[in-house]
Amino acid sequence: MSCGCKPTYPDRTWHGAAEVIENTAVAEGTYRIRLVCPHLAAHAVPGQFVMLRLRSGDDPLLGRPLAMYEVVLNDAGEPWALDIVYLAIGKMTRCLAMVGSGEQIDVWGPLGNGFPAEPVDHLIMVGGGIGQTPFLALSQEALGRRAYGQADRRPGWAKRATLCYGARSERLLACVDDFCNAGVTVRLATDDGSTGHRGLVTDLIEPLVGESGGSCRIVSCGPEPMLKAVVEIARRLGVPCQASLETPMACGMGICFSCVTKIRDDAGGWDYRRTCIDGPVFDAEKIVFD
Amino acid sequence: MDLQVQLGRLALKNPVMVASGTFGYAREMAGMVELGRLGGIVPKTITRDPRAGNPPPRTVETTAGLLNSIGLDNDGLDAFLQNQFPFLASLDTAIIVSVAGKSYDDFVYLAERLGRVAGVAALELNVSCPNVSGGVDFGTDPSMCEKVVRGVRGVCDLPVLAKLTPNVTSVPAIAQAAADGGADAVALINTCLGMAVDWRRRRPRLGNVLGGLSGPAIKPIALRIVYQVAQAVDIPIVGIGGIASVDDCMEFLVAGASAIQVGTASFYRPSVTMEILDQLPEALRALGADSVSEVIGTLQHPAR
Ligand SMILES: Cc1cc2nc3c(=O)[nH]c(=O)nc-3n(C[C@H](O)[C@H](O)[C@H](O)COP(=O)(O)OP(=O)(O)OC[C@H]3O[C@@H](n4cnc5c(N)ncnc54)[C@H](O)[C@@H]3O)c2cc1C
Ligand SMILES: Cc1cc2nc3c(=O)[nH]c(=O)nc-3n(C[C@H](O)[C@H](O)[C@H](O)COP(=O)(O)O)c2cc1C
Ligand code: FES
Repeated sequence: MSCGCKPTYPDRTWHGAAEVIENTAVAEGTYRIRLVCPHLAAHAVPGQFVMLRLRSGDDPLLGRPLAMYEVVLNDAGEPWALDIVYLAIGKMTRCLAMVGSGEQIDVWGPLGNGFPAEPVDHLIMVGGGIGQTPFLALSQEALGRRAYGQADRRPGWAKRATLCYGARSERLLACVDDFCNAGVTVRLATDDGSTGHRGLVTDLIEPLVGESGGSCRIVSCGPEPMLKAVVEIARRLGVPCQASLETPMACGMGICFSCVTKIRDDAGGWDYRRTCIDGPVFDAEKIVFD
Repeated sequence: MDLQVQLGRLALKNPVMVASGTFGYAREMAGMVELGRLGGIVPKTITRDPRAGNPPPRTVETTAGLLNSIGLDNDGLDAFLQNQFPFLASLDTAIIVSVAGKSYDDFVYLAERLGRVAGVAALELNVSCPNVSGGVDFGTDPSMCEKVVRGVRGVCDLPVLAKLTPNVTSVPAIAQAAADGGADAVALINTCLGMAVDWRRRRPRLGNVLGGLSGPAIKPIALRIVYQVAQAVDIPIVGIGGIASVDDCMEFLVAGASAIQVGTASFYRPSVTMEILDQLPEALRALGADSVSEVIGTLQHPAR
């Protein structure tokens, strides 16, 4: 399978008001919100996202794209709620941080293509900033601990999973324990050296690939300069790589054409493609970075 | 309740349509909206040849509004007919194909080709896109507007809607010109030219510097223009601009629109058109009406 070739239309998308069960701080300026939306939770696969919109009025006007972090099961073991981990950085996410349990917010999703569930020995995930969020569910599935979506994805497709996670400082690192508990090896990097490697998260990749032994695949999510560096490293090492883009989006469903990214076409040129329905996950070699 | 409306030669089963550029090619929304319930669908504007569109960022949210500079990103007429139109034509609703040209000849070419395609219910001439420079501005010069509508009427038998820009001194003058050229109806309004600035970086927020404002922020402007044109010009009006509820829809009908298009609201309330359709009969009943046509342009003027 390759990513970014044909659109994933929001055909199995649920939209409606979801009750907030909790909304708690997990790191500096970072929160985890839990939303009750069983249908959505039952269909979402790792790497997909949802749009969230406040019900309080028309400012902020639009929904915001946020990655699926984890699906929460009810007592009967059925998908019931969705966890999202977000950084309060602007107009909408700062308001979102004030929403209390019992309140409702508008949700539509799951949206986008998600990561491929293709067998590999070592899955190397590279997240920068808040870019670790799509990787918890991905690790759970890869290591065979959880299944997501409908029956078309078979869990347990990787033998090992490592998260390389970078942020400006230790205070901003969110949910590291979740990854450790999921059996993921975690390698940290901070700009200020407050924990882990002092420097760029991308410095961690090459040694990992070197010691891997078997087959590797790199998946990456974060700010564009980081993605660009990851893609370059993967190409140099000859390791397959996919990147999930965080392009700003106005609708998330493919109807506004605002979220476009330059994607290589077969003719050797490029075309603007909608990140929301053609992505957000693209094969690294298809992305044209400016 | 009789929801049918008539836009010149174009009959719609109800007055609720979706606006060009805000509903993709409709296939995207097949899982979110019962497309067959819509009165009509206006797919994203097409041009004769493919256009890449403007560089991102293409949209910026402003207070209760959205600025866009998409720049008519589309794959051109042939690709539209091959890839998008078959799905559209399979739907039980009026497909009103929106076209834009840089020249008179472009419009006439597009109209002639589309006039021969079975399943096209009408044409909407986008003579109002604020994001494309280099072309003749058919939406700001009455004589050019009249000429292009007349030219299109001359080469195809489809009903023709002229979609006009608010970014002129007098929209009624342009609307009259469209009527003189033979337009079946005018669609009012396209987006209002605007901009957003990031002062810290001393930069415009849009990749294309200027863009078109849409959403609730422009509803009063759109209503004013629909009202002014309804007073002055004798052809039906399609109201567009910030419509996001049945109340908004009713305001436009009463102010003089025969039908409406929902634009930006579909981005943030995907099934808003279904809500409007669900609630429209009751809103009409509240005015004692048995049909949509009974309320169109029934605004009561305060005594002076
Ligand atoms: C598929 C996808 C998944 C995402 N998942 C997550 C997630 O799990 N957790 C999370 O915290 N965030 C995630 N994001 C980013 C998130 O959508 C933005 O942080 C959010 O839209 C900001 O909204 P706001 O109203 O708070 O900020 P705004 O007021 O809109 O913007 C504040 C500042 O942030 C900048 N900005 C806004 N959006 C982006 C963006 N997408 N990329 C870079 N800069 C931006 C603006 O230019 C501005 O400077 C994801 C984005 C995408 C496309
Ligand atoms: C992202 C975006 C793209 C648009 N693209 C087109 C277009 O291709 N052709 C067109 O005639 N109008 C286009 N419009 C204008 C809308 O059809 C509509 O006239 C305008 O947005 C006002 O309605 P609204 O406030 O309900 O959105 C676009 C609007 C937006 C927001
Ligand atoms: S966000 Fe609207 S098309 Fe992608």
